[in-house]
Amino acid sequence: MKRIYFDISATTPLDPQVADFMYELQKEYYGNPSSIHREGQAARAIIEKSRNQLAKTLNCLPDEIIFTSSGSESNNMVLKGVLKKGDHLITSSYEHPAILNVIPSLQKKEIEISYVDPNKNGLIPIEAIKRKIQKNTKLISIMYVNNELGTINPIQEIANLCSDKNILFHSDGVQAFGKISIDTQNIPINFLSMSAHKLYGPKGVGALFIKKGSIINPLIHGGGQESNLRGSTENIIGIAGFGLAAEIAIRNIAKNSDHINQLGLHLINTLNKKKIVYKINGENCVPGVFNIAFPIIEGQDLVMQLDMVGIAISFGAACASGTIKESNMLVNMGLTNKEANSSVRLSIGKIHTKENVEAVINAIDYIINTYVGKINER
Amino acid sequence: MKDKVLVAMSGGVDSSVALLKIIEMGYDAIGITMKLWEYRDVGGNLLEDSNCCSVGAINNAKLVCDRLNVPHYTIDFTDVFRKTVVDNFADEYLKGRTPNPCVRCNSFVKWDAFIEQADRLGANYIATGHYAKIHQENNSFYLQKGTDPLKDQAYVLWGIPAETLSRTLLPLGNYTKKEVRDIAKTNNLETADIPESMEICFVADNNYKRFLKDYVPDKINAVGSGEIINKSGIPIGMHTGYTNYTIGQRKGIGLSKPEPRYVTKIKPSTNQIVIGKKKDLYESICNISNINWLVTNIEFPCIVKAQIRYNSSLVSAKIKKEDNIYKIYFTEPQMAITPGQSIVFYNDNIVLGGGIIEKIFTNE
Repeated sequence: MKRIYFDISATTPLDPQVADFMYELQKEYYGNPSSIHREGQAARAIIEKSRNQLAKTLNCLPDEIIFTSSGSESNNMVLKGVLKKGDHLITSSYEHPAILNVIPSLQKKEIEISYVDPNKNGLIPIEAIKRKIQKNTKLISIMYVNNELGTINPIQEIANLCSDKNILFHSDGVQAFGKISIDTQNIPINFLSMSAHKLYGPKGVGALFIKKGSIINPLIHGGGQESNLRGSTENIIGIAGFGLAAEIAIRNIAKNSDHINQLGLHLINTLNKKKIVYKINGENCVPGVFNIAFPIIEGQDLVMQLDMVGIAISFGAACASGTIKESNMLVNMGLTNKEANSSVRLSIGKIHTKENVEAVINAIDYIINTYVGKINER
Repeated sequence: MKDKVLVAMSGGVDSSVALLKIIEMGYDAIGITMKLWEYRDVGGNLLEDSNCCSVGAINNAKLVCDRLNVPHYTIDFTDVFRKTVVDNFADEYLKGRTPNPCVRCNSFVKWDAFIEQADRLGANYIATGHYAKIHQENNSFYLQKGTDPLKDQAYVLWGIPAETLSRTLLPLGNYTKKEVRDIAKTNNLETADIPESMEICFVADNNYKRFLKDYVPDKINAVGSGEIINKSGIPIGMHTGYTNYTIGQRKGIGLSKPEPRYVTKIKPSTNQIVIGKKKDLYESICNISNINWLVTNIEFPCIVKAQIRYNSSLVSAKIKKEDNIYKIYFTEPQMAITPGQSIVFYNDNIVLGGGIIEKIFTNE
């Protein structure tokens, strides 16, 4: 059975070009980038090349990028490395767990927290942020693109606000980087978290953009790597893969968006043509991400049934054990429990075709019809 | 098309082999782990526990299913489990009783939820790794004891809804535990050597007193110490709180007597425990609640074999039904009949039904 992977927001397959590049590279390069000798120098060059590639994509200086192990690490580093006792943080209630689950440890350090809720369209209203600003507000952290909905937040406006008020601004850009252009010269952002595996790069590599002059302390102390901001011998092959993946993504951003938007349109048209009842949650989304309710079927049942016929989509927020649980976020946004329970996420990428979209909708149509039959029998 | 079967996967050796057997029997298997409990909620050592519902156990289940090329899903049942099983567990101790949460889980959470899930996924059957059998005779289905006398788990299944028997497969009923481990080893299943979990799944450290303190701290703190009294009601010492004792308990009472003393009664209303000699633990009559019959057309009174706790032997008893109340008369007096525990009735190997022990009556 040839599977169709419609869960691009969870992770992406490696771009074949990136895979080949990494495969060849790891046979040749093994030096420690901190070593004095030629092997070390060669490894160093790989990292710096990748740093330059990333810097170009963000229109920033190479020095403003450090490599980490993941988007989660980058998020942790900002929150734990910037805030001190007595500081105030504003964040949103629908951030990724790599922000929300850091907060208890901040509260233990007597850091004040305020949450802003998304509106019914899944966006963070700038007015709500304004209302939460206090004298001691040190940092505002708002995700660029929400992972469950794909909604793009008004990051430019939030960054401008922070800049005006002299507040540091961090954005978890994991779901945005590679999908939309981010120009750090135009957006006065201090910190941006990124991850390689969301843009057809390898897992286990992330990065953090740190605007020159923004003070941050390391999370991992060690041998002085990454400008003394992140100890540990660099994951050179992963970093190399990240650099290439980012370059490919940004170079093709218009072409990919176009392709994916057309697939998205085809998805909606096909749903309409088949008269399938649905409702899309959230607006102003990145290309290809659909958080969509099929009121007739529970989301968890749809995900399992699709999986069994070879189609991967997602329900709720992924957790480490893979436990299927509905999303609290959708309820916080104003959806009823029933609507939240029937909402799934389809995320489409550059690897997909019109035929894939049709196959997925056909499968959904079939499952919904047989499912309805079963409920009526009972 | 092959019949679909949902196989309950705890991540242990039994459910792994159950899955293997279901596949061998020619069914189209789907592995499901029911996540019932979040360890982080109420303590317990996450790293040392090998129970189901830990992330490690869920990952083991996924690994075994992947090895056997079966899809695996983890479904969250933590809310219903907490409300139905764990809250009741605490309430029962606070009432001076000794609950059996596994029975309650099977009776009110697992089977219902699993059958419902099977319906929703278009599966005809559910399967588990319990050591018990389903026997079919004409159009009737009976729950039977498993072949392995040391492992038999029919006792914990008396409460499952009778109408689910025809849709339940128990592929380990004919095997001994040793055979199951051998099958797992022969098939290179990573779960082959996972140690037996004997404790209550949500009390990872097997310390229910610690658990109660963490789970309902206010209620437990309000209990405090109380009097130990003898049969005649005369105080002879102090205890640490009635929830810390069960009927028949000998150790940890804190009295030094030449002849051993046992807890014979727990009186939550006055926070007293009554102690007596071993002979004082023997009673002959009890009534029961929450009765569930797995066999229809039983006429009362009837003579049965009864089992009053997990792993105790079967004894003769007569069930009388008066005004819809079932009263059990044991042929011989039984030691430490304990309110809150399950009593299960058998005819030979067949489970007739069971109930929860309520009141104990002294044979006069």
